[in-house]
Amino acid sequence: MNNKWYLGTGAQSDVIISTRIRFARNIKEFPFPSKLGVPERIRVNNILEKAILDCKEYDFKFIEMKTMSQLQAVSLAERHLVSPEFASSGDGRALIITEDESVSIMLCEEDHIRLQVMKAGLSLEEAYKEADEIDNAISKRLNYAFDDRIGFLTQYPTNLGTGMRASVMLHLPALSSLKQIQKLIETVSKLGLSIGGSYGEFTHAKGDLYQLSNQITLGISEKVAIENLKSIALQIAAQERAAREEVCKLKETEDKVFRAYGILKYARLLGVDEFMQCISLVRLGAVRNILNTDEALIGKLMVDMQPATISISVERPLDDKDRDELRAKLVRESLK
Amino acid sequence: MICENCKRNEANIHMKRIINASATEVHLCGDCAKALGYGGAFSSFGLGLGDLFGNFLSHTPTFSNTTAVRCSMCGNSFRDIAESGRFGCAECYETFYDKVLPSIERIHGQTKHVGKRANKENKDTHYITDTEDLKQQLDKAVEEQNYELAAELRDKIKEKVNKKDGEEKTDE
Repeated sequence: MNNKWYLGTGAQSDVIISTRIRFARNIKEFPFPSKLGVPERIRVNNILEKAILDCKEYDFKFIEMKTMSQLQAVSLAERHLVSPEFASSGDGRALIITEDESVSIMLCEEDHIRLQVMKAGLSLEEAYKEADEIDNAISKRLNYAFDDRIGFLTQYPTNLGTGMRASVMLHLPALSSLKQIQKLIETVSKLGLSIGGSYGEFTHAKGDLYQLSNQITLGISEKVAIENLKSIALQIAAQERAAREEVCKLKETEDKVFRAYGILKYARLLGVDEFMQCISLVRLGAVRNILNTDEALIGKLMVDMQPATISISVERPLDDKDRDELRAKLVRESLK
Repeated sequence: MICENCKRNEANIHMKRIINASATEVHLCGDCAKALGYGGAFSSFGLGLGDLFGNFLSHTPTFSNTTAVRCSMCGNSFRDIAESGRFGCAECYETFYDKVLPSIERIHGQTKHVGKRANKENKDTHYITDTEDLKQQLDKAVEEQNYELAAELRDKIKEKVNKKDGEEKTDE
């Protein structure tokens, strides 16, 4: 896994870890996936597969979710390539993906097509451009369900219109330690955006990772929605930097960062929650030059050390303790 | 089922999330989901607050005297959509358009799509978006009495319209 998109870093990456654009699309001729039985979904997937793989300019790979183990499927969700819902059942579902995992297309999730493009750092325009081009290529080969008045037709009316969900993943350890997240949630919801834990948590996000997305999809163009999201993301990033400036004046913060580093470097059993808590502090320490740790390595560990992803990296089955032991070992070795 | 957060209200939002290498279902009431800002990476895409659509619809006055009109493609009635919060197929939107429009407006604050259009033949899928964006900017410039900018925007719109007309003629 040396060529994955998340191994790079991008603009504003001290706070903004990654960017994602998602399109929800359906084809006219078939009911939405929840109305289809498994054989019908497989039929739809085959039609979609044929059309999408015909876009030869992309190096797409087709995977039937049924052929994957539960752990492999969950690992895809941990890497944000599919939704947890999609990973929970493989029946009549398929995935189309590029080698570097920057483009993934879920077939028969809530909608027939869920296309997503991911980029490192803040890169909304570039990610949109790429998603738009793929979408155009697909639309030449399929009849999208579209209405002149209300746009792209989706299973849930919350996605009507552009069918686009743009989002950025933010690392907010300082705002989080200053207990500003609840306030942030309330503020952004008034601006037509939403923010939540990156792994779907309630308020205390693992590793202080938060996902900021546009909420409104009807009556706003893709361009304006992206501009709004970008401007709010940049404001939150500025707030986070100011908060870091404050908390890093405290000896306690420096102490916490070094203690976290110590745990990662010497622990013999490392659970995922403790790992995420520590790696978040180490990331803060690294971008503030308290620690001399490579940002890209931290990003890689944040992905690779997730429970299912770590489990599929070895051949034998692991119980919880085995997994914590392996995590401690791998983290220790990579921080040498 | 009771909401996992407040342990008081009936849970009407159910979603999957990943806890320790497995997909686990969580159950919340609408108030808690909202208060907790439940709009994470995936839940924001349809699930999450989207499920409130069912609640929205069930409060519409037309609900009580629903006739048994069914979608010709998937067989859904308006009641099916209201209860599940989701549509069965593209045709459902056509069939129940007038009934669902108020709820769509409540979700988005708008009922008119602006943005990309799906059309196999349409070469420039952003044509309408771009010109609409420009028109909005033009209105604003005029409002602010920034006539220099307004003239510039007017030229740009003209250029786009001409270019579009030219393309259509060559197509014929």
